[in-house]
Amino acid sequence: MSTQPVSLSRDLTIKQVMRAELGDVDMAVWRSASGVVSAWENRCPHRGMRLSHGFVRGESLACAYHGWHYNCAGACHYIPAHPELAPPKTIKANAYNIAEASGIIWVNATGNVAPIDIPSSTVPVRSIPIACPVESALNGFSKHTHQSLLTQHTQAEIIADTPYVLALTPVGSNSVGVYIAFQHVNDSTTVAHITATDNASMNDVVALSRWANEVRDITEFSAGVSE
Amino acid sequence: MNAALEHALQDWYPVAMVGELAPGECKHSKLLGVDITVLANHAGNATESTPTITVRADGAPVDVQQAFDHWWVCLGNKPRSLFTIEEASEADRRFVPCGVVRVACSPLRAVENFLDIAHFPFVHTGVLGAEPHTEVYKYDVKVDESVDEVIATNIKFYQPQAAKSAEGGIQTEYIYRVPAPMAAVLYKTCPLKPDALDVIALFVQPLDEQTCDVWPWMALYDDTSTQAELIQFQQLIFLQDRSILENQLPKKLPLDPGQEIPTKADYTSVAYRRWLKKRGAYYGALEVHP
Repeated sequence: MSTQPVSLSRDLTIKQVMRAELGDVDMAVWRSASGVVSAWENRCPHRGMRLSHGFVRGESLACAYHGWHYNCAGACHYIPAHPELAPPKTIKANAYNIAEASGIIWVNATGNVAPIDIPSSTVPVRSIPIACPVESALNGFSKHTHQSLLTQHTQAEIIADTPYVLALTPVGSNSVGVYIAFQHVNDSTTVAHITATDNASMNDVVALSRWANEVRDITEFSAGVSE
Repeated sequence: MNAALEHALQDWYPVAMVGELAPGECKHSKLLGVDITVLANHAGNATESTPTITVRADGAPVDVQQAFDHWWVCLGNKPRSLFTIEEASEADRRFVPCGVVRVACSPLRAVENFLDIAHFPFVHTGVLGAEPHTEVYKYDVKVDESVDEVIATNIKFYQPQAAKSAEGGIQTEYIYRVPAPMAAVLYKTCPLKPDALDVIALFVQPLDEQTCDVWPWMALYDDTSTQAELIQFQQLIFLQDRSILENQLPKKLPLDPGQEIPTKADYTSVAYRRWLKKRGAYYGALEVHP
């Protein structure tokens, strides 16, 4: 397993919890009241409940089942059934390495996290799941470039391959550049996390979002046909 | 055949409520991985209001008995006897079969959740529990060797609305019994009759190791609520439980210590897991290491 994008930073707001999957790894990703992001195995050590169903209180994630509170380091510090008890230090959520960079949350479930640095990626567009292998998604977004925003002179370049990040750079100083970081969920599911350069207007973001729908439809159709 | 299935086959499981099917009506279901059909027979005489049933597993008829407003089936050739609930013969109680809820979880996880009180403030918020009343006080758990059942007693918990009949919060007392691996019976303070105990049971029909149909049943003192209101109350509670049960990992219940971390509040479930392990009741459980 390698470093993978799991969400746009914008889409995980303060005190929010989400679920993300990387291969067999089911994880809960959450942001504390002060903004700290954590990614953990999606399982409360107490009774196995998915922590992505939990709720954030201040700097803690609480499990939906019995309200056990875990701090940003993953340590359980409060068990509501025994309010006076100091929980043993052995009760810990299994935490993964995470980093926030270029408007994207990156996770490595098995080792050190190495986010891809994309200096001009500043405007979040959207994340879109596509029912196809990551290579097909990469190919789809390379070929089906946007008609008006990205001119025929657009250059598609793979700027990273672990994980894959695609840069679509149009020719012309005022044109909008687009970046796509690909999350390899499994061999039949990919999530494309899309950002743009800071000259993208709200209308551009809406247009890019619709374009992403079209690319998904075409890519899923071709992936289906080739099977 | 594996030992877990062989063990489970000798117990009785509910497959329908009495009166659920009209004469001649048939439904398809599953029990322990086996396809079954449940057929309501045409009455032998016209005065019989509820038809008897015939259940076939893979085409062959199997043993059936009626108890607690349900039809029970055993697929094994050495059936254990079905447990008893004395209150089922008390004529002044209201008997409420609550219908069925299908849950994508191990039948053992469904029973264990029923034995748990610490989740009330978080899963049944404002009904069976509420913050800040989260503390679980010390209670007693043992295996009653004379009947080979897990018994938990002296449980007390604050409940905002302990039952449909409750007006305002009360300190509720609980007793739990586990008379079979896939059944649990709860005795709790009756809001309308403080000297008596309401009975709420959970009968679990294992469709397979990771799917079950849960049939809640109640024997209450309540002469004001309608049957529909009582059923709705219990269904609300159980649907809240389902949102938990379908999100526990792993799907099968771990019986070996160390895979999940219990606290004092979990003594009933610890005793339940040990009791299952000792009996060899592994159907719906993770592989056990001796």
